Amino acid sequence: MPSFLRASLTIAAKDLRSEFRTKEAFNASFAFSVVILLLFSFAFDPSSEQLHDISGGLLWLVFSFAGALSLNRSFARELQNDCLDALVSSPAPTGALFLGKALANYALLLIVELASLLVFALFYDVRFAKQLGPLLLVILLGTWGMTVIGTMFSALTVNLRMRELMLPTLVYPLMIPALMAAMTLTTDLIAGTPLGPENLIWLRLLVGFDIIYTALAVVFIDIVLVG
Amino acid sequence: MDPRNFLYMFYGFAAAWLILVVYVVFLALRDRKLRAELDRVRRMVEDSEKRVP
Amino acid sequence: MREKIIFVLAGICAVILSLDLYKILLVLPNEKDQGAIYRIIYFHVPSIITGFTGFFVALVASGMYLATRNLKYDAFAAAVTEVSLAFATVVLATGMIWGRIIWGIWWTWDARLTSMLVCWLIYAGYMMLRRAIEEPTERARLSAIVSIFGCVDIFIVWKSIEWFRTQHPGPVLSVREGGGMAPGMEAPIYWNWVALMCLAAILVMVRMRQEDMSRQIDSLRRMAHTY
Repeated sequence: MPSFLRASLTIAAKDLRSEFRTKEAFNASFAFSVVILLLFSFAFDPSSEQLHDISGGLLWLVFSFAGALSLNRSFARELQNDCLDALVSSPAPTGALFLGKALANYALLLIVELASLLVFALFYDVRFAKQLGPLLLVILLGTWGMTVIGTMFSALTVNLRMRELMLPTLVYPLMIPALMAAMTLTTDLIAGTPLGPENLIWLRLLVGFDIIYTALAVVFIDIVLVG
Repeated sequence: MDPRNFLYMFYGFAAAWLILVVYVVFLALRDRKLRAELDRVRRMVEDSEKRVP
Repeated sequence: MREKIIFVLAGICAVILSLDLYKILLVLPNEKDQGAIYRIIYFHVPSIITGFTGFFVALVASGMYLATRNLKYDAFAAAVTEVSLAFATVVLATGMIWGRIIWGIWWTWDARLTSMLVCWLIYAGYMMLRRAIEEPTERARLSAIVSIFGCVDIFIVWKSIEWFRTQHPGPVLSVREGGGMAPGMEAPIYWNWVALMCLAAILVMVRMRQEDMSRQIDSLRRMAHTY
């Protein structure tokens, strides 16, 4: 296995292992999404037509809030004991460091999202078995877009005093194209419409978004972390 | 000119110029603040230079 | 020298604007459906062209900073971004007023409006980030990254406009294969654009002088404290 990939996987494994020991971020994110879903189910009558129109938006709102909670800590947790300096000065390329952290965040976020999806299906009585495949595809693509940007900006804001404020401020506007695409696709899929020519364009937007930002992030992470 | 919606056209033009004017005023205020700060710091440097001949 | 340039630009700007205003308000014929309100386009479209040009120029300047590490590029990028943000505000405001009349609503989430709002949010975030970092080289480096990511995002959203034909009017300018405007009516848009670019240039020069002053203050302050 090329050393770049090996380094990324090592870092991803380290992050996941440390996360699953404490399960802090996972519990916080999952609890937060369940609370939001619950609150929304009080605000809207779960059986109404109205709900099916906003289902995609609601789901991705929940996903992005949950994401913000865990992505913030991604690089911040390395600040103690100069771990970040150690990682950056290690022989592993910074691109591998970034990819490893992104993969770990991705895995964590996916677990939270799939769990929230089940909760959503339960509370809101939604059946999406018909379009499950495409729905999972959209979740995978959308989450990767969120993860890439979130991890990148977590690195960027790691040394700022107002990190918790600056990260959402910077990340949410950038993610809007991907979020819009994901929301529209999810609403369609949950309503039962298959992926057809009208919404394929959103899927293309999502894929393009992911590719472009992954490339940008890998190229620029060196400047962000090292200088 | 067609008088329909004249009022809102006026609002539109006014909004455009108002925003630019507000920005210019903001720049002018910042300019004044920066100049005052610059003078203050220059005086500080001169004072400390006088104290250490 | 700089003062002279500013006066010349101001003169050009004033002349063009007066001629245009005369033409827009008194000479031009009416558009068949919209009444007087369509004349807002003569500030709405030039502002958006100026704004987007500015954001692109800021992108180039940010790239130059990262390549050369000369802080003058950073000062230029910041100045241009701030001025373009002001023009972006004009675009949003005039667009909303027009929309209130023509569509009956202040806002709608169509691709073009959303992308302009996203653009505004991204660069407002850029200005916030700059305020949050005190060390000049760190500030320059990190805001350059945000500028690059932001501009790419704008481009992605801009492209999606081409794919989504929604509530916002499609291209009417002849340069974009529109053909919805009589030639006499189209010219003031371009002339106004020239005027607004002159205005933008003046504002950028003023703003850059302020950046110079800040830097002088910083270095003098450092000198004062070494005694």
